Amino acid sequence: MAVLEEPIKGVPLVKNYINGEWVESKGEIKDVVNPAKYETIGKVPISTREEIDTAVKAAQEAFPDWRRTTPVARARCLFRLKELMEEHFEDISRIQTQEHGKTIDESRGETRRGIENVEVSCGAPTMMLGYNLEDIASGIDEYLIRQPLGVFGIIGPFNFPWMIPLWSAPYAVATGNCVVVKPSSEVPFSHLKAAELVEEAGFPPGVWNVVNGGRTVVNGMLEHPDIKGIAFVGSTPTARDVIYKRCGETGKRVIGQGGATNFMVIMPDANIRATVASMMTSFFGNAGQRCLSGQTLIVVGDDDEFYKTLRDALIDSTSKIVIGYGLDESVQMGPLRDKPKKDRVLSYIESGIEEGAKVILDGRKNFKIFGDYPDTCFLGPTIFEDVRRDMKIVREEIFGPTMGIMRVRTLDEAIEICNESPFANGDAIFTSSGKSAREFQYQVVSGNVGINIGIVAPMAFFPFSGMKDSFFGILHTQGQEAVRFFTESKVVIQRWF
Amino acid sequence: MKLQTASSVISLAKELENKAAKFYEDLAEKYAEGKDTFLSFARENKKYVVQIERAYYGVITDAIEGCFAFDLESDDYAVETTLAGGASYADALKLAGSLEETVVKFYTEAAEQSKSLMADVPRAFMLIVRKRNDRLAKLRPL
Repeated sequence: MAVLEEPIKGVPLVKNYINGEWVESKGEIKDVVNPAKYETIGKVPISTREEIDTAVKAAQEAFPDWRRTTPVARARCLFRLKELMEEHFEDISRIQTQEHGKTIDESRGETRRGIENVEVSCGAPTMMLGYNLEDIASGIDEYLIRQPLGVFGIIGPFNFPWMIPLWSAPYAVATGNCVVVKPSSEVPFSHLKAAELVEEAGFPPGVWNVVNGGRTVVNGMLEHPDIKGIAFVGSTPTARDVIYKRCGETGKRVIGQGGATNFMVIMPDANIRATVASMMTSFFGNAGQRCLSGQTLIVVGDDDEFYKTLRDALIDSTSKIVIGYGLDESVQMGPLRDKPKKDRVLSYIESGIEEGAKVILDGRKNFKIFGDYPDTCFLGPTIFEDVRRDMKIVREEIFGPTMGIMRVRTLDEAIEICNESPFANGDAIFTSSGKSAREFQYQVVSGNVGINIGIVAPMAFFPFSGMKDSFFGILHTQGQEAVRFFTESKVVIQRWF
Repeated sequence: MKLQTASSVISLAKELENKAAKFYEDLAEKYAEGKDTFLSFARENKKYVVQIERAYYGVITDAIEGCFAFDLESDDYAVETTLAGGASYADALKLAGSLEETVVKFYTEAAEQSKSLMADVPRAFMLIVRKRNDRLAKLRPL
């Protein structure tokens, strides 16, 4: 298979998009690196405090007019944006692969998921509807209306550079707010493309702004009195100790999505062939860099024959995964996003060995890179056996292509292990028993629950849930919950004399 | 070459359709007796490319097993579309029949393996299988 053409050419400098203008930042400039080729593909600014303040000011000034724009007219901008995104679908997908490293199938999936959120937000005129009741007392009526709040900050992570800002931004603007988006500085080109399409779709200046950067931009958002709320996706320490805490202190609304250590529970009546295929994408898709990836596989029951068949099938399928540059269509798993992330995964593999887990497939050694690429960020998939619940590789988020396998006697014990994790993002059960599935769904503490689904990613019209240390806040991104997050409920009680 | 990802299978499907379209356009030029039929086949092949792309781009998401859905071998679906110089009309029809049989085999096997890609992709593949079987039935009496 030929390698698909790369869309990012030369070494372009990313600009900020503020008040409908493309503005060069005065901040420090960093390299953007393609992790598969380990080459610089662009430059990104670490914007200054003044630049984030300028963007917030532009958004605040755009807000009164945008708020008065009818919901139907706002939705029409989003319809145009959706059409443009469809038109540029392949370009958007290849940008993600080039800057992040994921496979082209994964990038196209991410593009589709992002567009689905724009589609759902087009329904804002319906989703914003309030409700009313006449005669709550004699001659008195009461009704609820939803109103936008002002300016929101949206902070995206490195692992889904296109999709995740779109879990929030379209709903914010559809409901009449203005946004300032800060994409991850490691992967700024995906949202740069989104901003180009926003401009083409005809959003008024200041409604959708993009400021690239790092901590200074985040602090600027957190401290700015005109930012009414923040939607953040990233690590748990940042979500909890920085975003959630400081939004609390400054009275901002907050969506803080953090990390995970997801469990895949395999019952002895599971369909092995279908389960193994699901496990490949769950544990090794996106090179394990997603908050819905499986991290520990719990096999239930005493059936040694079932366990051996499953284990052998997992090793067989995993060892055949084609690793390489995601723009090659044959490739099934790309690199880690950068070298420090690879080193972090390597340190977890070492800790697993030190704590007594047995390596039955060693991703540090036994893998080949398809094509002529440096191994700087590549790592093969690793499988551990004899994993215990007290090990770091079970309790802490690894965010890499590893699978820890443990055995337990009963479903209750498996659920107990899932529930003792501080995280609660996306656990799943694989079974052909409705009773086991129902029991798991009922008992497990997890924001998103899979039944014979390895990646429990909710569609755009459902909230992307999360519990415990995987989520900080009340309302979630996506769908109706996002509409509620981005609107204030105002209740009117009226009587006419 | 092994085809395991959805992207690689979709690319092969497009390649087969484009090759078939070119093949039938060439036949239409060479053999006046089958011109209309061959041109209609070529038009259909181009339509199938659009249908396949639409099905794939519509359902590919990060939640399904797009990178792990297939286990096909591209060599099993190699098609010959070059006619020897001086080939008769009967030779051309025989080559067309062979091409169609290979294409039917490809789509049938790909559909069987792609059930995890929601309904749309295998449904699009099987729709083409049905149409190609109709085409084979049309080719035989010629």
